[in-house]
Amino acid sequence: MKKEIILIADDSEMNRSILADMLSDRYDIIEAEDGVQAVAVMSTRLSDISLLLLDIVMPNLDGFGVLETMNKNGWIDAVPVIIISSENSSSHVERAYELGTTDFIARPFDALIVQHRVINTILLYAKQKRLIGMVEDQVYEKERHSDLMIDILSHIMEFRNGESGSHILHVRTLTDMLLTCLLNKTDKYNLTMADISMISTASALHDVGKMAIDEKILNKPGKLTPEEFEIMKTHSAIGADMISDLPVHRQEPLVKVAREICRWHHERWDGRGYPDGLKGDDIPISAQVVALADVYDALTSERVYKPPFTHEEAIGMIVRGECGAFNPLLIECMNENIEQFRQSREQSSPDDIKRHKLRRISEEMLRGEGGGVSKRTLRLLDKERVRNSFYASMTEAIQFEYSVDPSMVTVSVWGAKKLGLDEIIMDPKKDAKLTAVLGDGTWELLSKRLHATTPEKPEIRLDCQLHIDNMVRWCRVAMRSMWTDDPTPKFDGAIGTVIDIHDSRTKIAELEQKASRDNLTGLLNRASTKAQIEMRMQERPEDHYALAEIDIDDFKKVNDVYGHAFGDKVLQKLARQMLGSVRRSDICCRAGGEEFFIFLEYNTDIERTIDRIYSNLCFDCDGINISVSMGVALGETVGLSYDALYHAADVALYAAKRGGKHQYRFFDSSLEGVLKSETKQTR
Amino acid sequence: MTLKQCYEAMGADYDEVVGRLRSERLVQKFVLKFLDDKSFELLRTSYESGNYEEAFRAAHTIKGMCQNLSFTKLGKSSSELTESLRGGVSPNTPALLDCVCADYKETTDAINAFKAELPG
Repeated sequence: MKKEIILIADDSEMNRSILADMLSDRYDIIEAEDGVQAVAVMSTRLSDISLLLLDIVMPNLDGFGVLETMNKNGWIDAVPVIIISSENSSSHVERAYELGTTDFIARPFDALIVQHRVINTILLYAKQKRLIGMVEDQVYEKERHSDLMIDILSHIMEFRNGESGSHILHVRTLTDMLLTCLLNKTDKYNLTMADISMISTASALHDVGKMAIDEKILNKPGKLTPEEFEIMKTHSAIGADMISDLPVHRQEPLVKVAREICRWHHERWDGRGYPDGLKGDDIPISAQVVALADVYDALTSERVYKPPFTHEEAIGMIVRGECGAFNPLLIECMNENIEQFRQSREQSSPDDIKRHKLRRISEEMLRGEGGGVSKRTLRLLDKERVRNSFYASMTEAIQFEYSVDPSMVTVSVWGAKKLGLDEIIMDPKKDAKLTAVLGDGTWELLSKRLHATTPEKPEIRLDCQLHIDNMVRWCRVAMRSMWTDDPTPKFDGAIGTVIDIHDSRTKIAELEQKASRDNLTGLLNRASTKAQIEMRMQERPEDHYALAEIDIDDFKKVNDVYGHAFGDKVLQKLARQMLGSVRRSDICCRAGGEEFFIFLEYNTDIERTIDRIYSNLCFDCDGINISVSMGVALGETVGLSYDALYHAADVALYAAKRGGKHQYRFFDSSLEGVLKSETKQTR
Repeated sequence: MTLKQCYEAMGADYDEVVGRLRSERLVQKFVLKFLDDKSFELLRTSYESGNYEEAFRAAHTIKGMCQNLSFTKLGKSSSELTESLRGGVSPNTPALLDCVCADYKETTDAINAFKAELPG
């Protein structure tokens, strides 16, 4: 194993070699003859050095000078310092501690004491560094979760809003950029790096209220009527209400920020926005920033109602106040980051979250915790404990440690309470409470995975269902196996965290479900139908498939004569008739307007099946006879591709309509020619 | 001459040093090394040339070595000299320096005598 390195700074060669002799069995030693040399060594090899043994009285730069330099450069947090000196006056000792010294050993020293203090200090720091690493991992994990969430949301919004799915990603990137710039400009808004990360994440939800707006309005090409615009405008308040109505997490800062953003991202600096007409800094800074990011990205993107503007045009329109009114400070921030704004157009995946950014956040969390404590004499161990529980409460992660011998699991106080476990569990495999939480087989599974780790690759991650409070909840378990220092390391336990991911998993499933269905009929929409059909044909290419495209005859007339409410009723009844005519495993879809699909698998007589289905789709609705036209395409005729099936069904449907409606047709290649010649004639 | 006798000859505490450093081999190694240390010369030359800051550091180094090696007598006189040189020179510095010179000679004589009898 590689030895850790100790730097000894002392002007007396003899003193250095006495110390070196005591420690060279266990450690590699670097010697420095004075403070200047010590600083020089640290400036090039800081991360290699596990400990500095420092004399005070030295030529050129004395021990205090070295400590001051270490403080100035931030090295004092990375390398622990033990002072060895015969300058024992209390003022010296106090000054050394004030400057961040970990320990003070007076001369003449005892070899055993030096050895022990050195070992202890190095171990303590190593453990702390590992903890910082763990926190970083947790923050990273959290970020990864929110990235996933944003990915899915983008996808869902794409389904619904006809926006590019990158919109949410762009808004997030721009929000982050603007806030970071703002932070450097003013402390008026009390922003921290953690706030910025949170606001950027929450920005993903800014248009969530559009879920409740009719697709016809959302995706209407061209200008909205005043009435339609009024409906459109409700999306900000609706979004805020959706978030306020969340059954859980209401007090989470992220949720509060998301609500602010939803409600107020259409407010204007001059007070002429909606829904509340807030003015100036009455609008929360989160919403102000997202508003600007949203406008820029909307301007530079293509929408059904407008072509994209160029970057220069968009910036010009914003600066001239043609598209909203913004905080002058934010306009300044935008102007200072003009190039990054332009580059944001090219970003299309959320992989740009860099590890160094996480480090910034972790470091800030660390500093934030110790900020009020100016006396560095505070015992390190105590500090570590406080930090540890602080992080645990920040992340809502349950922390635990497992040791093989004695067989024992210790759970953090909060975690034990949440899971209903004892904090210390002896012989965990036989513990009734633990078994109840884990359920059958989970212990064995975790144990198997853990034993399969190696010292080089000690980490595992596993999603499993735990029984918490009489409920079964999805949790993510992350563990790192621990190994002895022996030449052949032995597995001697593990540390780990459990994060409850149930709510986010359920919420995502719900949203996906919502977005994949048509509001009126509850049938699948076109995009999700296409995805499901493709998946099914890919999974079982040997089966027989048919796609039927259905169109209600003279539906426009029905709407005009009997009104839209009746029209809606017809659509709903047709949907019910469709569902009643097919097996549960078949797919029914409203593709838009009065156009429907049925996708089914068949084994035997498809013509009879189609005939039966068709007869169910012509029905009486409040005394009015409703009929449909239907075109059917078979996979074995046109091949297993969605596009081919759709095209063929469409051709057959066209033929059915041309044949006088109220009928169905199967596709065959002769129809293709008819369509083509027809098309030619009409052009 | 044993190392213990050498320590007695220079007014130093043998039991204490072995108790702290826990190895007679180590103690012997560093005692012999003491002869090569240039701090004493540095003390004299810098004092004579009026560089009291340098003289202070040299005296301080000697004091530190004596503490490490439990050279009680030289440690005591060099410690007093160090204090008298802290922040410049004081009236009693010359007398204390003489004392350190005498103790230094006694110490090095004892070590040289011990060294002369070492095999090889």
